[in-house]
Amino acid sequence: MKTTNRTKQLCDASGVSRRQALKIAAQGLGLGLVGGIGPVPPLFGTTARAMAATEGKILVVFEWFGGYDGLSTFVPYGDDALYRQRPNIGVRESDVLKVDDHFGFQKSMVGMHRLWDEGNLAVVHGAGYDQPSFSHFTSASYWHTGAPNSGEQYGWYGRAADALDPTGTPNYLVNISSTQTLAVRAREHVPVVFADPNSFTRSAFHQEQRYVEKLGLGQEARGDAHQFLLDVNRSARDASALVTQAWDNYNSTRNPDVRLLDLDKVVALIENDFPARLYYVRLRNSLFDTHVNQESPHNRQVQYCSDAVWGFYEEMKRLGKQNDVVMLIHSEFGRRVPENTSLGTDHGTANVAFVIGGGVKGGQYSTPPSLTELVHGDNLQHTIDFRRVYATLIEEFLGSSKSEQVLGKFKTLGMFA
Amino acid sequence: MAGAALICTLAAYTLSPTLGGWSPGPADWAGDLTPITAEDWSYDRAAHLLGRAGFGGAPEEIQRLADMTPDQAVRSLVYYDDIANDELEPFAHSGFWDETLTHFPPSRPAATDLGLRRGESMGIRVKPDHVNRHAQPISDRFFFWLRATLLETRRVGYWWAERMLDTDRPLEEKMALFWHGHFATAENKVRDYRKMLQQIDLFERYATGNFGDLLVAVAQNPAMLYYLDAGVNVKGAANENFAREVMELFTMGVGHYSEQDVREAARAFTGWNFENLDFVVHTGLHDEEEKSFLGRTGNFDGVDVLNIILEQPATAEYIGTKLYRFFVRDDVSPELTAELGATLRDHDYELRPLLTTFFLSRDFYSDASYGAHIKGPVEHVITMLKQLGARDVPGVPDFNATTIALGQHLLNPPSVAGWAQGRSWMTPALIQERGNVAFDYLFPDVIGFRDPNFLGRRGTGVVGERLRSGYDFSAAAGLDDPGERSAFDMAAKERDELFNTRISTYRGWEQAVRKLIPTPRGGARVDIAEMIVDAGSADTDEAVDYLLRRFLQVPVSPDFRAGLVAFLDEELGTSDIARAETYMEDPLRMVTHLIMSSPEYQLN
Repeated sequence: MKTTNRTKQLCDASGVSRRQALKIAAQGLGLGLVGGIGPVPPLFGTTARAMAATEGKILVVFEWFGGYDGLSTFVPYGDDALYRQRPNIGVRESDVLKVDDHFGFQKSMVGMHRLWDEGNLAVVHGAGYDQPSFSHFTSASYWHTGAPNSGEQYGWYGRAADALDPTGTPNYLVNISSTQTLAVRAREHVPVVFADPNSFTRSAFHQEQRYVEKLGLGQEARGDAHQFLLDVNRSARDASALVTQAWDNYNSTRNPDVRLLDLDKVVALIENDFPARLYYVRLRNSLFDTHVNQESPHNRQVQYCSDAVWGFYEEMKRLGKQNDVVMLIHSEFGRRVPENTSLGTDHGTANVAFVIGGGVKGGQYSTPPSLTELVHGDNLQHTIDFRRVYATLIEEFLGSSKSEQVLGKFKTLGMFA
Repeated sequence: MAGAALICTLAAYTLSPTLGGWSPGPADWAGDLTPITAEDWSYDRAAHLLGRAGFGGAPEEIQRLADMTPDQAVRSLVYYDDIANDELEPFAHSGFWDETLTHFPPSRPAATDLGLRRGESMGIRVKPDHVNRHAQPISDRFFFWLRATLLETRRVGYWWAERMLDTDRPLEEKMALFWHGHFATAENKVRDYRKMLQQIDLFERYATGNFGDLLVAVAQNPAMLYYLDAGVNVKGAANENFAREVMELFTMGVGHYSEQDVREAARAFTGWNFENLDFVVHTGLHDEEEKSFLGRTGNFDGVDVLNIILEQPATAEYIGTKLYRFFVRDDVSPELTAELGATLRDHDYELRPLLTTFFLSRDFYSDASYGAHIKGPVEHVITMLKQLGARDVPGVPDFNATTIALGQHLLNPPSVAGWAQGRSWMTPALIQERGNVAFDYLFPDVIGFRDPNFLGRRGTGVVGERLRSGYDFSAAAGLDDPGERSAFDMAAKERDELFNTRISTYRGWEQAVRKLIPTPRGGARVDIAEMIVDAGSADTDEAVDYLLRRFLQVPVSPDFRAGLVAFLDEELGTSDIARAETYMEDPLRMVTHLIMSSPEYQLN
């Protein structure tokens, strides 16, 4: 693990609490507290080193929640039907960054277009499932569980973690979110869930710290809710010091020219050898649910997202990890094909998904859905079950033979060389 | 805490230190809605009741309920109309709103376009057009109201929190909080704190009344009408947003209606809208044709559709179950679901009989229900303050900031589905933050505090500093902050000679805070040393047991308790409370902080 922040170490050694030290250091007073230079506390280093995933393939899911309009994201500008269905809001050919004579990215997605040009971006057309739900929450829960129209309680990502690492190694599964996403819910693993690394630490006076660290230890569970809290508390103890240290380090090494949304936390953890192999990031403050006047919010949101994805891979290149990290981007559904009367679009069905990163054979996968033969009230007929994408990532990228155990039997796409 | 009478009761419940008064009913009470009897009643069960039906309380409040029969105790909470509660203050408006803001434009471009076209928008005229940036006042006005309603909404949230703390009808506020999460509406879309205030008032008035009446009132509530796009739901171009959510989230849940029902219901609601704070029906925009909805056919309007929804057994079961999960516990058997639905339907959707059934039932006091509820963030903070004996919700830390950090932003739920409740309140980061919030209330950082009302988004404050240092507009608004720049320079288009939105962001904020009624900023008035003295604790063992008993429902491990005693001994330099009486406040606060950081404290 890198220990670049000298002030930070000095404060730790002087016995000031981490959180206080950070605050003090931020005010430029850190050196005033030096009481003696000691070793880095053993909390760091040992656990991280012992569990570092050296074989190191890392998967990141970046869920663009809100139901992004795939037809205004990866635009079928070569299809006249698009403009018949959407006379006012169909993205014009002149507003497209073309990838061929039929498709292109919406023009503010310069970043993802570059990744396409580099040959490491796969577009998956028409990803969806049978009997689609038009509810954000229900459809998201189907994508999260990988089990549409069933009562599955655990998330596909959580089940993947259980299959890949049945022992439930701490800090294996990370969810950057203020509340836990259903996708990461696991039987064996307790996901590390946080949104703000700065506050992922306990405030305490120096003399309280020994006791704070023992919270929840040796406690007999009085019921399911209590057991759940004891597990969450244990995960917090396992992860928080590592996360805050990684974040602190990262703030002195990060590329200040890229905007990453919440992907910066993932970069920080990867750079500092956090042992997680599975990361799940859910877009916050999404503008994608564009029922009304969709052009401006949609374009802004795809730009932010595309910038962040490009920036993430700039950071991976800086770390030399671009071949080890793959990102999946999806939403809970796409949007209805015809525009509505409010210059927006309503909840739809199948959508385009993206898989990016080292080892991905760039290109287009699956069949683009027809814009004229619509189903379920003006909607796209899905052309691939989204779980084939999940299965591809589990088998071809993570190299596990257990995708059938996690998802049932799904044919992979041959997306990785 | 007052009075010697309490000391003897307190002594009684320090007998079993780590188990406290933990006295769940037998396991076979689970699922049994039979009322408990006077023999089943105890201080501990009264505490369980007040924690769930309200926001907990100090020992004297719990004792008052324990001294009644269970039936009297539950009725005193549920049938509260005779409790005057008139010391609660109405909301004091800062005075931001005037009638020129009635039809606030939906976006900044809409505002400036209107201003440029008509020469005026939102009561503000453009400058003569030979002046550079002659539409700047319009743009400023737009951002003024955005900031004003945001700031005032924070004050509404804080004011509501104070009501939750002060009320003599705790269930009324608890239910209002429930309905706010159920009929979720967010100020960040509605952009009018007055409509949010009006909605809270609605939730309080109908809190434990009739669900059918509440449903209709909510469907005609301006905040809800705006939030779910009533304005664009018109004859010939129905918008399904409200029609879908009213069935999926507010009444039946998925699986009880078809997509066709959604479309037909949307037609029935066409023409429903609001004018300022009043519900109106634009009859010319209402679809008068026949609709087929849930197997019925007729020229339905919105109220007809809601009445058909209320006739569905699924609705009573959905609402009964959701209330049960909020007040009792997460797992509900199919038999219990049916029973709850039947209770609600048998009483024509009157809520009080159902709530009375919950709170009196053996099931509520059973082993399965005890300590099974993860407190929500607002509930957590108010409960903590009540247990600490605070008379007011303090200004430091900032109330909204603390609950936002814990995952609940009052008046801004994350989506129309509200907050997911239960386990979703807790993650590794959030369980730590719970302890940190306790730390901030017990050791308020009044010296280091910065009022969040005066903290702008990144860059905004910089613009103000530059303007006040004599920069011209272009220089002050220059995009030289790397955090504000797109990697591909898309943002450069933001410049416009008619007005500058970066300047407006600052000026609108500044104009708003000039008028804003300031929030007093100080720490909570709490005296833990006095509690310990009043309780008659002789030594640190007894003091720790008193605090565990006061704050916790779920018992902690013997090791943790022993650690707290050792900690207190060390901090005080003695185990003799009389010896340490004059300097024990902060050490006792640290013990309290440790208790409140425990996993057990998050439950009741």
